[in-house]
Amino acid sequence: MKKKILSIVTFTFISIVSIAQMKGIVYGSSSQVRETIFGAKLYFTHNKSGVLTDKEGQFEVILPKNLPDTLIVSAIGYIPDTIIVDKKDRFISLEITLYSEQLLREVVVAIKKETHSVSRMKTLQVEQISSGELRKAACCNLSESFETNASVDVNITDAVSGAKKIQMMGLDGVYTQIQMENIPYLRGLESSFGLSSISGTWIESIQITKGTGNVVNGYESMAGLINLELKKPLEMERLFVNTYANRFGRLETNLNAGHKINEKWSTGWMAHSSGMFGEMDNNKDGFRDLPKGNNNALLSRWNYRGTKFESQFGINGYLDTKYGGQTGFTTNNPNNLYGVQIQSKHIDVFAKTGFLFEKRPYQSIGVVYNLKYQTVDAKFGNRNFEGEEKRGYINAIFDGIIGNTNRKIKAGLSLVYVDMMQHLDSNKTLPLKNDRIEVVPGIFGEFTNIGMRLNTVLGARVDYHNLFGWQFSPRLHSKYALTEKTDIRFTVGKGWRVPNFMMDNISLLATSRSWLVNQKLQPEISWNTGTSLVHEFKLFDRKASLVLDLYHIEFVNQLIVDRDSIVNSIVFKNLQGRSFSNSFQTEFSFSPLKNLDIRLAYKLLDVRTLYGGEVQQQVMLPKHRGFINVGYKTRDKRWEYDATCTVFGQSRLPQAILGDGSYSTNNKSQVYPMINAQVTHTYKLWEFYLGGENLTNFKQKSPIIDSANPFGSKFDATRIWGPIMGINVYAGFRYSIHRKKQK
Amino acid sequence: MKNYITILISILTLSFANAQESKPLRKVETIEIQTSAQCEDCKERIENGLNYTKGVVFAELNDDTKKVTVKYKTSVISAQQIRQKISEIGYSADDVKATEPGLNKLPACCKPGGME
Repeated sequence: MKKKILSIVTFTFISIVSIAQMKGIVYGSSSQVRETIFGAKLYFTHNKSGVLTDKEGQFEVILPKNLPDTLIVSAIGYIPDTIIVDKKDRFISLEITLYSEQLLREVVVAIKKETHSVSRMKTLQVEQISSGELRKAACCNLSESFETNASVDVNITDAVSGAKKIQMMGLDGVYTQIQMENIPYLRGLESSFGLSSISGTWIESIQITKGTGNVVNGYESMAGLINLELKKPLEMERLFVNTYANRFGRLETNLNAGHKINEKWSTGWMAHSSGMFGEMDNNKDGFRDLPKGNNNALLSRWNYRGTKFESQFGINGYLDTKYGGQTGFTTNNPNNLYGVQIQSKHIDVFAKTGFLFEKRPYQSIGVVYNLKYQTVDAKFGNRNFEGEEKRGYINAIFDGIIGNTNRKIKAGLSLVYVDMMQHLDSNKTLPLKNDRIEVVPGIFGEFTNIGMRLNTVLGARVDYHNLFGWQFSPRLHSKYALTEKTDIRFTVGKGWRVPNFMMDNISLLATSRSWLVNQKLQPEISWNTGTSLVHEFKLFDRKASLVLDLYHIEFVNQLIVDRDSIVNSIVFKNLQGRSFSNSFQTEFSFSPLKNLDIRLAYKLLDVRTLYGGEVQQQVMLPKHRGFINVGYKTRDKRWEYDATCTVFGQSRLPQAILGDGSYSTNNKSQVYPMINAQVTHTYKLWEFYLGGENLTNFKQKSPIIDSANPFGSKFDATRIWGPIMGINVYAGFRYSIHRKKQK
Repeated sequence: MKNYITILISILTLSFANAQESKPLRKVETIEIQTSAQCEDCKERIENGLNYTKGVVFAELNDDTKKVTVKYKTSVISAQQIRQKISEIGYSADDVKATEPGLNKLPACCKPGGME
């Protein structure tokens, strides 16, 4: 009997001891409330499976045999936490509180606001440029906002029109979808001159996504996606004024005002006006280095926030006129000079409505609406282009979860309507027309799975184009957290767009080369795949990070602009053979001192297509590029210094016939540096800035071929690989009254 | 004689003691002051308020301890004046309490107990 009792007691004791477990409750704390979290995940580092908290936030977890171990607690929208559990913690009850990402971001990032960062949390590779970074350069228009960034390049495409285009992964800006708050922007007729329609002072932040973007945003992101977040009425300045002037005779002024009308309504107004008044011809070729002209834009936006319904709407107008070409050129042109006259204007109405479900906080429906009317009239000497576009866009997105917040789903419908008219050389013997009406309905779905270490976003969309038929675009993005400090991402996806051969290449009118189109141009389709590594670490006990990325884009079809096949013509045709882009970029950021930031980057671009019978590197695209940016802010926060140096390697140039009839022999560009620097002084509500661009005064010699005979057959202002203007010096001031946070 | 020596010694001792107390301050001093700051907005108010005060070289608030490190020119401003300035902004500085008008200017989240 005694033995039995002993064995029962021993058995019970052993069973209690062997099932070592721990239980507890998980709370989530945000700025408004502290409540239990349903579906928070708890797992040990050496044990693959974990447990989830129940509806009351409670959990029970079995302790692993090998102790001590680390228990990781995570939930969507909260910063994960870890607890080291030891043998002595058996049978204890834990109360764990996780802090909301929103809350902690305010506190943690306040230690030093990162102006440029690569997101650790997002599954796609997203680089964020915040308003702090935008202040480091003059940033008066969007093209200048990328001056301190290594991933996006801004190029001038011809020597006379002042057109600036962005480039990502070595591919022209048209392959990167640009959006303004998730509404497609700067496409169609605005692909070449549109960068000057948004002022840098309107922008709150920029997100640059490499690889095809989410299917929710459309089908046109092939190299990447750039999303511009404009300032919002309740977060923007109550009043903001910026004035800028530079040595070339450019004057600019910007005005922003955000106003809270009542608890539900708020409004923001942003105005921009700039003019180029100087007549500059520093290389003495008889042509204006920069066109004269003026540029005005106005945006008005309104927000309504109710309990079940949210909406935003706004209107934006833009008018830009440029006069370039030979010095002395005016509209009536009495002396028959070669002139470039470009007038672009648009009016754009946008709205977003969001419906929330009170009983189901994780579900919502959002609808985006956009209507746009734009015209572009461009004259290059004797050649002229007229374009008109009417566009309508609706995108309805349903956002929800399946089971718990670790599985999200988005689904929706979109409709694009475009009525485009593009006419070229209408007054000449070989006029070209590209008119079309596009109606593209689409349906899409995206599933996101947040795992313990692996996040996956799988999406697909199907669109039916009235002219080109069905297009299926699948996309996969994944992020694996290798360690707490390292993420590896992988993406593969398909994107496509209908090319606008005239507007996309409008700079090529700055030559007398004839344009030949002998085929029906098909949609451009590409597959983009890539991988990236983001690693944060400490160097000499200071914060540092390293990003490595490698992307490969393979075109299934592409609009080929062939300047090599026939020497005095430009042939537009569909791809035959291979066309691809390999880009490798590495970026190292380091803060050796609390107020000193250094960024170093290197980019390798291998972009090749079948040109003139040979697979060659794209013209005017350097293979190697180096970049360094240094920023310093004084401890009393009154002075800020920033300097950027980019070194561009050699690039291939198309063969040209020079003014004297001979063929160009050296078809390679020079290696050159581009150095920009700015000093900013803050005094209470004022900021004064003084800066310089192209400080080494590097200029491409003779950018215009046969500038003496602009109406002759050899005239060509498109063979541009470097800066045309020399050193630029600018100064300005900003006055802002910020909105104080009221709680 | 003994008395005379005693008096001499006491005078010398006293003068040494005085000499220690009136040791001259360096031209630039750095001090740490405990404030009642609670959030990012508070940090901005204190830092901006001090950075534009004559005589302050820089002011930096530590997010964890809520202590502000101030480097200042002793010939222009004194440590007590700095504490007074902080109290005028609406925060307590070491043992100096925040002033009423200063406190009233703060948004709710910055007042004591506002972040809970």
